[in-house]
Amino acid sequence: MSDAAQARQPSAKPASSKPASSNRSAALRRPSVPLAVVGAAVLLAFPFYLDSFWLQTGLFAISAAIGAIGLNLLTGATGQLSMGHAFFLAVGAYGYVFLAADSDTKLTGLGLPTPVAFAGAVVMAGIAGGLFSPIAGRLRGTYLGIASLALIFIGQHVLFNAESVTGGFNGRNVPPLELPGIVFDDSPELVVFNVPLGALERLWFLGLVLLALAAWLARGVLRGRPGRALNTIRDHEVAASVMGVPVARYRAGVFVLSSMYAGTAGALLALIFRRTVPEYFGMFLSLDYLAMIVIGGLGTAAGAVIGAIFVSLLPQLLTRYSDGLPLVAAPGSGGVSPAEASRILYGAAVVAVVLFLPGGLLGLWTRLRMVVTARRAPRTLPRLEKEEQPA
Amino acid sequence: MTTFIELVVNGLSVGSVYALIALGFVIIFKATEVVNFAHASLLLVGGYVTAILHDDIGFLPALGAGIATAAVVGALVEFLVLRRATVENHAVLAIVTIGVDIMLTTELTRRIGTEVLTLGDPWQNGIYTIGGVSIAHTRIAALVTAAVLISAFLLAFRYTSWGVAMRAAAEDSETAALMGIRLSRVSLGAWAVAGALAAVAALFLTVFPTPGLDRSTSFAAMKAFPAAILGGLDSTTGALAGGLIIGLTESLVTGYQGDLAFMGRGIGEVAPFLVMLAVLLIRPAGLFGTRELTRV
Amino acid sequence: MNRTVLRSTAALAIVLAAATGCSSKATGGSGGTGSDGVKLGPGVTADKIKVGIVSDLTGVYAPLGKSLTQAQQLYFEEVNAAGGVCGRKVEVVVRDHGYDVQRAMAAYSELQADVVGIPQFIGSPMVTALKGRINSDKMFVVPMAWSTTLLGSESIQVSGTTYDIDMINALDFLTKEKGVEKGDKIGHVYFEGDYGESALHGAKYAAGKLGLPLVEQKIKATDNDMSAQVAALRNAGVKAILMSAGPKQSASLAGVARAKGMMVPIVASNSGFAPQLLQTPAAPALLKDFYLASAGAPIGADLPAQKKLADAYGKKYPGQPRDNAVVNGYTSAAFFTDALKKACTAKDLSRAGIIKAHRSGSTYDDGFGTPMNFSKFDQPATRKTYILRTDAKALGGLVIQRQATESDMAEQYEVPAGS
Repeated sequence: MSDAAQARQPSAKPASSKPASSNRSAALRRPSVPLAVVGAAVLLAFPFYLDSFWLQTGLFAISAAIGAIGLNLLTGATGQLSMGHAFFLAVGAYGYVFLAADSDTKLTGLGLPTPVAFAGAVVMAGIAGGLFSPIAGRLRGTYLGIASLALIFIGQHVLFNAESVTGGFNGRNVPPLELPGIVFDDSPELVVFNVPLGALERLWFLGLVLLALAAWLARGVLRGRPGRALNTIRDHEVAASVMGVPVARYRAGVFVLSSMYAGTAGALLALIFRRTVPEYFGMFLSLDYLAMIVIGGLGTAAGAVIGAIFVSLLPQLLTRYSDGLPLVAAPGSGGVSPAEASRILYGAAVVAVVLFLPGGLLGLWTRLRMVVTARRAPRTLPRLEKEEQPA
Repeated sequence: MTTFIELVVNGLSVGSVYALIALGFVIIFKATEVVNFAHASLLLVGGYVTAILHDDIGFLPALGAGIATAAVVGALVEFLVLRRATVENHAVLAIVTIGVDIMLTTELTRRIGTEVLTLGDPWQNGIYTIGGVSIAHTRIAALVTAAVLISAFLLAFRYTSWGVAMRAAAEDSETAALMGIRLSRVSLGAWAVAGALAAVAALFLTVFPTPGLDRSTSFAAMKAFPAAILGGLDSTTGALAGGLIIGLTESLVTGYQGDLAFMGRGIGEVAPFLVMLAVLLIRPAGLFGTRELTRV
Repeated sequence: MNRTVLRSTAALAIVLAAATGCSSKATGGSGGTGSDGVKLGPGVTADKIKVGIVSDLTGVYAPLGKSLTQAQQLYFEEVNAAGGVCGRKVEVVVRDHGYDVQRAMAAYSELQADVVGIPQFIGSPMVTALKGRINSDKMFVVPMAWSTTLLGSESIQVSGTTYDIDMINALDFLTKEKGVEKGDKIGHVYFEGDYGESALHGAKYAAGKLGLPLVEQKIKATDNDMSAQVAALRNAGVKAILMSAGPKQSASLAGVARAKGMMVPIVASNSGFAPQLLQTPAAPALLKDFYLASAGAPIGADLPAQKKLADAYGKKYPGQPRDNAVVNGYTSAAFFTDALKKACTAKDLSRAGIIKAHRSGSTYDDGFGTPMNFSKFDQPATRKTYILRTDAKALGGLVIQRQATESDMAEQYEVPAGS
């Protein structure tokens, strides 16, 4: 481990010329290799041990993480507040179902091969984002946020009313994804290491692959030229355009990209749900996504992932372990039920993170790591590091 | 024709209530540049306190208590949460208010529980009928109260020292601070006023023809979002206009939804947002909002 | 570096392969037979039977969920006090989803392997979303929603009538006893979604048969002010109003209509009323010509079983509203348990065994005034609807106006099961 710790030092210095936020992520960009392998192995081993409840919760977290990375590109890195994320998730979910399902007497579908449908759903979400760009390009900050809120209400209206495509209030069944050699469904049976792998287990691996791809792509965008351009647009739009950044094009582009992330998350979500219902894609879903990126840490892929895990797992943990029966304390006495407790804690977490952890959970992690590293190798750490610490 | 007149009067009345909520929004935004997503829960606080007290102390004192509580809670949110936040990003501050909203709403809906609470208003289900057009007393009361409150506020905004301080702070907070205006007081006051207005709105959202206050009342506050944006987030006149436009749109579209069936059922709920988008496409800063000019 | 990667990967792969051997998920070991010769399934052990309740205790349907859950807990306590089922104690696991599809799915996944069945599952969007899994798990589920979408599945049992049947019988009542005649317009205010649409389907059918033009008004659960709807219905000159929405909407509709001098009869679906409303200013309006079409007799009805339940519930949960949901929850738990008992007699408490036992009987009557037949899963369990009238003095705010009746139209009506 010590050689890994030392290996980290040199690359920390060039990063110090950049703004603090990207600096923090820089510290996380150098995962030590054995650690990464262990992490990956543990993640891959989960389906062999976890019961379906935890797998499902984990899958929701994975899909949320993909969506949150997209939102973080838009809101965290570029400073464009979007409350319409749930709409693009819906486009992805329903897009997949529409493209993959066969037509019957009531519902229309294109019956495309499912991998094509999956890709098509992502593209559809991107197109939806592009169609919104006349508005997205003209509005700033709060105005954009609330204008995008309109997308949710209009979107849900369409989902409820365009019954031949969406199935209306009752939604539609989701055809399972079929890749060559593997079907993401409970049948045909698949047993590995004596463990039967059902739909959730198989989807877990798909989710991990998608998440890894999504995170890798986002990091590429954020670390490279586009990322710097986006950050400049966030920090000072006029300065960005003076420096030659094509602001309008970048803003539209990042909106499309973020919608495609949401589309991916939505399509994956549809596969997990096995049934799409319009009820789900409401305003609270969008608000949850905003909470994820704030809690995790704005502007980085890792922050989005941490936030997504936190927000998805917290209510489940609380309901499961605050000793079951919500009514035992409740009747007449007006006690707080676990569900309510988890809502309140969730709200409090959002407030607390903003007040006490300006960098989100990711910022906290970075700071902790710096403290640990500082203890371990005091001499190799010059004073410079202190300035890098978030205030 | 009578239906049309009824729908217009109802729309104006509901719109004036939306205007009250939107005005609170705008005041907070002007003073602190924060979009307050916790507005719905301030509304619920006011309504809840009024509802539980009116049996014991009578309607008007209960309403007063409700207004005062909502104002205090509003001020507390500013004092305990927003003032302590060190982030610059206004989007993040907006998200903090979402957190506050979740906490307050959960606690209040828990207290409300399965009840439908009445606010003990004096109008009950009375109705005026003039030439075939019938209008509920509560509608008239809402219209009058909102008109009085909004004009009082606009006057105060123009002529009192608080109003001047607030406008100065909105115009250029640094200069205002240099001129001796205490920004912290301005924003504290803004939150309190917004809370009080929300409590009044809560009253009119829960009286006849609505059965009473329950857990879903806070959804109505959502309508004030398009109202505030449509008028222009930094314009008090805009809040008034926006509220009325949204109220009218909603009432007319719902009233004639039979003729609008091609747009899908339940279009009345969506229409306000469609109007908002249309306005924003033409005027990105709303009807009366100031276009942001960037100085380098 | 590369060697480290290789080495650790290899080591981990070995550990992993070895360790999965100890995974509890590894195949083998489920079911079996108890010492009393009863075939066991998920949720059943030698001395315990676990049942799940997936309810809404914090969301929009919390008032309903609370009554249902308390009534069912009361029922299972009584069962346990009387010795349990099949010599086993019944253990109830309550999960709250706050009317959120994702949380309902999580709750189902958690209960999936642990419980024998779910005698209360609130929300048709949730049950519909899980329908495929419920079917393949053969989980015995009683949804607390009465739309036709939930029919047509062997393991799902809707209790009583579906909304469309209620509306058909309601129109029968209006024409026979309220003087509605051929050619009169009827208004129908309904929620978007399958509740409203099921009811509308029935109303359209009966209105077509009776020659009554239907004036439709679709609303959302968030609409609390029915002024616009009343204006539209009054404009159309309707002679009666059907109401398939929530209690609040009923209160607003009745309030506005009566205040505007519109005195036509209003008949609501069984989810369209709550006794709490009789304490609000809308009470006088709700007491005028306001009816409820329901498969169940009201809790204040003159039946020994109802009285016993009302007393027991009032004693256990003092101050809690005693509404129709209490009866509904209690009776659902009762026929659920009845299936368990029958399955026990047949010595098969596996999931398939329970469903077989449930579907095997002819007519089931528990003395609550609603005899039901569970043998056909694509048909509602009964086609008889009570017409109830509001009454401020009655327990639960309702009394019987017309005894449970199956109209000819309802008898001939083909239920669109599954949609």
